Amino acid sequence: MLTATGLTKRYGSTVAVDELTFEVKPGIVTGFLGPNGAGKTTSMRLILGLDKATEGTVTVNGQSYRDKRAPLQEIGALIDPSAVHGGRSAYHHLLWQAQSGGLPRHRVDEVLDMVGLTDVAGKKVGGFSLGMHQRLGIASALLGDPPVLLFDEPVNGLDPEGIQWVRTLMRQFAREGRTVFISSHMMSEMEQTADHVLVIGRGRLVADMPMEAFTRRSAQSHVKVVSLRAHDLVPHLEAKGALVTNGTVNELIVTGLDAPAIGAIAFERGIPLNELSTQRASLEAAFMELTHDSVEFRADRGPARDLAFA
Amino acid sequence: MTAITATTVSTIGLTTNAEPGFGATLHSEWTKLRSLRSTWIVVSLAIGLSIGFSALIALTSGLTHDSWGEDVTAAFDPVLTTNSGSLFGSILLIVLGVTAVTSEYSSRMVRTTFIVNPQRHRVFAAKTAIVALLGLAITTISIPGMFLVSQPIFGYYGLETASITDSATYRTLITITLTQGLIYTMIPFSIGWLLRGTASAITASIGFLWLPWMLGPLVPVWAKENVLRYLPDIAANSLSGITKADAAQYLGQTPAIITIAVWLTGSLVAAAVVLNRRDV
Repeated sequence: MLTATGLTKRYGSTVAVDELTFEVKPGIVTGFLGPNGAGKTTSMRLILGLDKATEGTVTVNGQSYRDKRAPLQEIGALIDPSAVHGGRSAYHHLLWQAQSGGLPRHRVDEVLDMVGLTDVAGKKVGGFSLGMHQRLGIASALLGDPPVLLFDEPVNGLDPEGIQWVRTLMRQFAREGRTVFISSHMMSEMEQTADHVLVIGRGRLVADMPMEAFTRRSAQSHVKVVSLRAHDLVPHLEAKGALVTNGTVNELIVTGLDAPAIGAIAFERGIPLNELSTQRASLEAAFMELTHDSVEFRADRGPARDLAFA
Repeated sequence: MTAITATTVSTIGLTTNAEPGFGATLHSEWTKLRSLRSTWIVVSLAIGLSIGFSALIALTSGLTHDSWGEDVTAAFDPVLTTNSGSLFGSILLIVLGVTAVTSEYSSRMVRTTFIVNPQRHRVFAAKTAIVALLGLAITTISIPGMFLVSQPIFGYYGLETASITDSATYRTLITITLTQGLIYTMIPFSIGWLLRGTASAITASIGFLWLPWMLGPLVPVWAKENVLRYLPDIAANSLSGITKADAAQYLGQTPAIITIAVWLTGSLVAAAVVLNRRDV
């Protein structure tokens, strides 16, 4: 279990992570969302003891990461899949890690097999494709067969097939009962994999809730009603507590009442409807709305940064 | 909840409960070093070039000694003259010491190193031991190698020769093997941790270890007496007899050993402290 308390990291006057307090619950996939530059990677580095927090603490299973002696069997991490020495073979890259963690040599063959790199185990990683690097990074994370897994942007730059593979893998890890903490700037990615979300914007935590609640809250639905007698319908809907706004001619946008209720009222009053449909705002839009004020590099304020929540 | 915990325990986790000790870290650092082809290229070049160059110098000595003046003839030493190939050997020791560290930073693999083992001092100690042993292994072959390949050439041309079984001779060779192997590998190794960049660390190492030696003849006596002789490479030369007892920068045996020990431990401690404090 990961626990952050008042976690803060400052570089000079820049605040990268600002008083983050959260808990990553065991046995589920927790998504760590935020636009680029929001502080996700810095948080990951703080969790793994690579960077020292300016203030606050973060612990893995109650212990600071830098105090651990055999972390491979507790937590597996993938933070930068290209951070490998190009002159070393995939096998040796995993072997030195296994040896350092006191793991048996056969684990190297096992994880290579799990990620499908057995055939290229003896090849130098310098010649690997982006997808192969990603697989090698995941193999490293799995070496100690840890109950907690931490992935920083695991699908970044992958092709659709690779994205599918990673997605399936994350779900599989969760099914096996592992705690999975996965960062992404892609809302749609999280919607399909995470059970719980932490949303971070400009170093600050802006949401911490179950995925389902986040979806419901963010993607506030409204109902579109089209009727030639739309005007006549309005008072009846408002009487039931609905908030009605006029769309185009003969069109109403209704919130506060769901489609079946609106249908029932129209039937009761004998008003024929041409269209009655529930409209969901996209999760992307909600996410952008949520982090809008906290995006560090805004398109209208300077060089355009990658803000595409594809 | 209990049931979930139970299945979690049975399906996840290896049965190796033993905490990996220092031996595991040593093993790991050795695998890192040996699994790179560049390590073996540097080792072969360090040995091959130094022995080859010494043989060449021995040959030129043999071919030209008839025309030597008295002072040159007097300066000839069948043991120390063979050390000329160290010029190449030491450059490659610097490369070995520096890149053992900086290649991890340039590839950013150092992050993986400290994720796998967050005990930074332990990783540092293991890497120090492995790199020092490899540096010493190189000089253990190259220094006696340079001596042994030169003697038959000296003998053939009628120059004075020395025997490795002679106690003064093997003492000198052992001294050079130890001081060169450690100073030229481990001070650059420490500089590598401090500067983290290959080019800057190699440049700084060459500047620090070689410049005083090359500028030696140019600096005033007070600088030789107060500064130069306390530099690690100059102190090592006093110890091995390359710097004669009448030279201004000469340092006695015990102070020379202390000076070298202080430089080695000082630079390593500085590197370890900085590593422990800095973000990776």
